[in-house]
Amino acid sequence: MAETKGKRQEYTTDFIKADIGNVSFLGNVHIDNIMTALIAMGAEIWTDRRRIRVLESLLEKKGVTRDMVEQYVPTAEEEATWKKEREVLVDRMYGQFARQGSEFNISSDWKNK
Amino acid sequence: MARDGKQTDIEPRGTNGRLERLPTADLEANDEFLTTFRAWANGPLTQAANARAREIMTARGIDPEAEMPLARAFEPFADDAVIQARHHVWLHAQNLMWRNLRRELHDNYDGYMAEMEAADASGPGTLELNPNLAIPDYATHEIHLQPGGYVGDPFAGHLYHYGTNNFYTGRNNQDELHRRYASSVPAPADKTVRRILDQGCGCGQMSVALKERFPNAEVWGIDVSGPMVRYAHMRAVDLGVDVRFAQRLAEDCKFPDGHFDIVTSYILHHEVTAEASRGITREAHRVLRAGGIYYPIDINTAGTRGMVAGAGPFNQVRNWMSHRWTHERWLFEYNSFDHATETRRVGFEVTEDGSSSGMGGVRGNILGVKRA
Repeated sequence: MAETKGKRQEYTTDFIKADIGNVSFLGNVHIDNIMTALIAMGAEIWTDRRRIRVLESLLEKKGVTRDMVEQYVPTAEEEATWKKEREVLVDRMYGQFARQGSEFNISSDWKNK
Repeated sequence: MARDGKQTDIEPRGTNGRLERLPTADLEANDEFLTTFRAWANGPLTQAANARAREIMTARGIDPEAEMPLARAFEPFADDAVIQARHHVWLHAQNLMWRNLRRELHDNYDGYMAEMEAADASGPGTLELNPNLAIPDYATHEIHLQPGGYVGDPFAGHLYHYGTNNFYTGRNNQDELHRRYASSVPAPADKTVRRILDQGCGCGQMSVALKERFPNAEVWGIDVSGPMVRYAHMRAVDLGVDVRFAQRLAEDCKFPDGHFDIVTSYILHHEVTAEASRGITREAHRVLRAGGIYYPIDINTAGTRGMVAGAGPFNQVRNWMSHRWTHERWLFEYNSFDHATETRRVGFEVTEDGSSSGMGGVRGNILGVKRA
């Protein structure tokens, strides 16, 4: 039977749900999830890059050319600020690589003092 | 697509030819990335997975053409990183695409519903909805992982249209395939085409293309799904094409005997059970007049090659992945179904030289003519 939501007639009915959320293809559901997140991250990177391309095109029409962007030389102050931002980014993204992480497993009890 | 509940037929970013652009630049960019990603997964990554499968079979002395019990067919490939990665990204990129589209539609529910409601009673063309239609169980699966499947989401038509644009990796954004297949539909020998039925019309692309091909004919598009025919009608109204859409079953369409000159369908049969497929063909025969054309376009309906050409354990695994994890629920029934024989059985004169859907890249579809 068709279903309604509020006052709206949706003309929908019950359906049999797919169960792809319950399967792991890579031997560990965490790895599966990381892989999916990487695909999603790629889409987000492209979304931002595409917007930058649009901005470049619009700026070009205002006299700021893509070549001017390429040739831009940051000021010393900008260099220092950007360096700090890069360091934060690197730490935020890759800091986990320095984690030891093998001392405990999920069933480990508190360490004796 | 609409986003403002107070207005109808909103195209906030205009159209690209026949296709309304997605409503935000970010969604469009996200969608185009996942489309490019799908092309990569289906191309270079799949080729790499196929190469790994061949290497594994050679190393283990497995005949790449020999069938084996399915449970055993998985084992040689189970630990291969490339093959498993291919399985994963193929499915989960598809799932991400659906999730992003669905979120946009449901986050802006009122606007999109208002747009369809306004179109329901508009023309050209007509829309018939049947909220009391008993939906067969076979049609209630989330085929292709589409959220809600064809019948469970009010925006099933929107989702199907933009989702399949992703599947076609951009080759059908202007209905190119539907127009090509509509142009390949033969007219009856007496050249009289007054009425055409498009069975299982989905979001209506084939029905619209048929009306454009045969402008003087009355074209009907029917589908089990109310949301599908609603979207199909709305889109036909936008395009200014006069098609009659109705929520009816292809196997019990309620039209009089001998009513149509042409009955066609586009990739319908591989989404239904073998029993339903037989019923749909019987119904096509009933509603066609003598000399009428039956042209069910699908993947390799001529012969029994089904959806995946070739045999052997790796193809068995790939078939299983499609069947089980993209929820091509009826794939195995379709692969084992002999359309030409079944179509002859209901009384058609059959030839096997029509065009295929193009998805398998192999020509070979059946064409039926109702005997006088």
